[in-house]
Amino acid sequence: MEYLASNKIGIVDLTTREILEEELEDDLVLEKIGGVGITRSLYDRFADEDPVILGTGLLTGSLVPGSALSVITAKSPVTGRVSHAPLTLDAGMELKYSGFDYLVIKGAAVKPVYLWVHDGILDINEDNDLWGKDVWAATDHIRSLMGDDLIQVLGIGEAGERASDLAQICINYWQSGDRMGFGGLLGKKQLKLIAIRGMGLLEIAEPEEFVEHCAGLLSAVKSGGAAKIRGIAAMAAALGAPDLDDWLKPLTHKHMACFNTPLPTNTFVFLDEDPALLKETTVAEPGFLLTDISPLLKLKRLGLPAADACRILRECAKRGMDGAAVAELSEKAGLKDMGAIQGALSTLKGPAPTAGETAFSPWAAIGNQDPATWLRRQAVAYIFGLDPVFALIAPELTEEKLLDIASIGTELELTSETLDEVVAHITGS
Amino acid sequence: MAPWVVRPMDKSERCTIHEEKRHPRIGIYTGKGTSHSWLWFVEIFDRLGLFDIAFLTETELRRDGLDRCDVLAMSGGDTFAIAESLGPGGADNLRRFITNGGLYIGSCAGAYLPLRSSKEHLNLFNFVPAKIANITQRLPESVRIREKFCTAYGCSFVFHPVREAVQVATNGFPPFRQAPHLTAPLYGGPPMIAEGDTQVLASYVGFTDQTVFLVDEQLAADTVLGKAAVIRQQMGKGHLHLYGPHFEHPHFAKANQLLIDGMRYDLARDLLRPHDDTPTEETISGEVCRELLRDIKREISNSRIVAVGLEPLSIRWVIGNKVYEPSKIREFIEPLWKRIRPLEKLNQLTLLPGQASRWREAASSTTRVLRRLKRDTDKGIDTLPAARDTFEALNRICSLFLDIYFRTMRHALLQSQP
Repeated sequence: MEYLASNKIGIVDLTTREILEEELEDDLVLEKIGGVGITRSLYDRFADEDPVILGTGLLTGSLVPGSALSVITAKSPVTGRVSHAPLTLDAGMELKYSGFDYLVIKGAAVKPVYLWVHDGILDINEDNDLWGKDVWAATDHIRSLMGDDLIQVLGIGEAGERASDLAQICINYWQSGDRMGFGGLLGKKQLKLIAIRGMGLLEIAEPEEFVEHCAGLLSAVKSGGAAKIRGIAAMAAALGAPDLDDWLKPLTHKHMACFNTPLPTNTFVFLDEDPALLKETTVAEPGFLLTDISPLLKLKRLGLPAADACRILRECAKRGMDGAAVAELSEKAGLKDMGAIQGALSTLKGPAPTAGETAFSPWAAIGNQDPATWLRRQAVAYIFGLDPVFALIAPELTEEKLLDIASIGTELELTSETLDEVVAHITGS
Repeated sequence: MAPWVVRPMDKSERCTIHEEKRHPRIGIYTGKGTSHSWLWFVEIFDRLGLFDIAFLTETELRRDGLDRCDVLAMSGGDTFAIAESLGPGGADNLRRFITNGGLYIGSCAGAYLPLRSSKEHLNLFNFVPAKIANITQRLPESVRIREKFCTAYGCSFVFHPVREAVQVATNGFPPFRQAPHLTAPLYGGPPMIAEGDTQVLASYVGFTDQTVFLVDEQLAADTVLGKAAVIRQQMGKGHLHLYGPHFEHPHFAKANQLLIDGMRYDLARDLLRPHDDTPTEETISGEVCRELLRDIKREISNSRIVAVGLEPLSIRWVIGNKVYEPSKIREFIEPLWKRIRPLEKLNQLTLLPGQASRWREAASSTTRVLRRLKRDTDKGIDTLPAARDTFEALNRICSLFLDIYFRTMRHALLQSQP
């Protein structure tokens, strides 16, 4: 695969420590397009070896608006189904530029390891100091060890280490859209984290035409209905969820976008610092980046003040726990204040009914959308590599335009029939 | 003989120097005192397909490193440190090399080195009867980039009136027959005043939009314009070509071409040594080669990642008479990084005995020292010792990597010839 790809699939066997590399063949892209189309195909190929597959969408890391997504595909310990979770912020893009389009992680290590993915090199490394660290400390540790603060870290905390169903794979310090318990899978594999850094380049078949089409899409999105969305509360409202704005506003410091996403869908709240501060804070851990709508809604419903809810989520992120599951189980257990919930974090047990009914993480909230439309849109986002929340509110990114731009970028004839087939296979519809 | 044409390297072709029957053996000084600019020489020689390159440290120059060379390229850096490192032995060898027919190409610090001087160490290299125009006892006021503005020179100062691209005009004499007007970047190199039988090949004639003035513009004009930018001096059977601006800078194609024209013009008619394979070389391929290259790529990538991590930090180090910023680190690493892919494609390496393990060790120690530098920076402790170690390690890995690269390319070229 010459264009929009690094042309490499890495296959890691943690048991034998063998690392293989394969080319990403054009035929596979013509048949499965990319993203979950190919991660699912790789999962099926290695299904007997309990694989966790990381993969990039065909347009991930490109100039297409919202092209922030990579995906994790594995059998969910929560649902027992092959499922997909999103990797957003800058992690999805970083994987695309790491020199690998897809990573297959098989087997389990004899003792704790981490993967270091960089510039087309895959290393299985041991580090006695990593296991036992919380997500934040592990991220700091690996960045310091490797000497770069831009390294993207997909890591687990103590929840993942004990293979809890509530464990999630976090992105750097923040919660991800992993509602599938994939954090526990990494724990079982004794894989503490995957550190990713890539300074590669992507070739584009028709670069000028590609850029022109991307610019057109960006203009369309910016003049569309969602153009004024700023932050997670506005995003929740746009998806038809109850309003979080008044609740969060006193804590809101700034809004942040995922890679190349024209709308900031995340919100950074200050918990131990004045949110209105406009200079560099001297507080080491001033707050938390809110990336997930669902746990906010649930914790608000429990009657918690926003600051307490955010502190709980910060603690969840450090422990590598799915905040939505924690909120759900706390409600079931009748826990109604921050102290009680935080005190119960190490004893809460799942499974929590937050994994949804489909193959896709319900992180991109269904809100008031028709389920079939939501499912189709998620599949398309996960195939092309679009932030799945952004994809829901940006109808300007039509399937036709995405296929067109992917064909321009790759010189491959990608058709709507192929897309239909891949979506049908992924969704089982 | 076919003309040597400098043009950007692309995927499909190397330059027409392949058509030459015999290639000169070129020594590039990489020892103490050099800056990263020796890598610019590497770039243009690689573009030309001139693969017979020797990377010479001060130790090798003091021994017999020049004996098998036709050309010595001395890049920019810290002239005082270069002179001191080479010492009397290096100076004698250099004099012998040139008088026996060798060609010395000096750029910036490499141009200052053989100019007349009474200062200790420098006075060992009084090969060219020319003076520099940018010397003063009363230092003018610097208006910007104060840290790169001047160097103490006994009771006087060598000051640098401008930086970046300046206009140069050739003086119409061979070997500079092309490009009467061109631009080339000046990073502290000398405006020169020729004396005796020294030939001026090009002069400074103006500034450009890119020129950065470090002193008052009128003083800069008075100091630089009309002075010699490139001079040529015969010495015995050999010659010296001294460049104030960096004609070897890879972004200045016209200047590159003139430098090569000059080199070709003054190469000895009979090159100094037969250019056979070194008998002790061994060539590896297949999985062994892939593994070695993967190990090297891993470490170059690791180093490159730390280098990028250091770049946003507002630190700099004064090492000798030179100021180094974090961005300099990648000036060393990128030339290696971009040559990994061609080696991977070739899947063949030509090495001297023991070179593979030295290569691995040099690459991993570069990563280690860079990571130490980053950690020390993060901790806020004095990073000068780590920075010194870093730039030494970078110089070492670059020399070794490029020695293997050129050895391999030369071997592959010889293999491909009928």
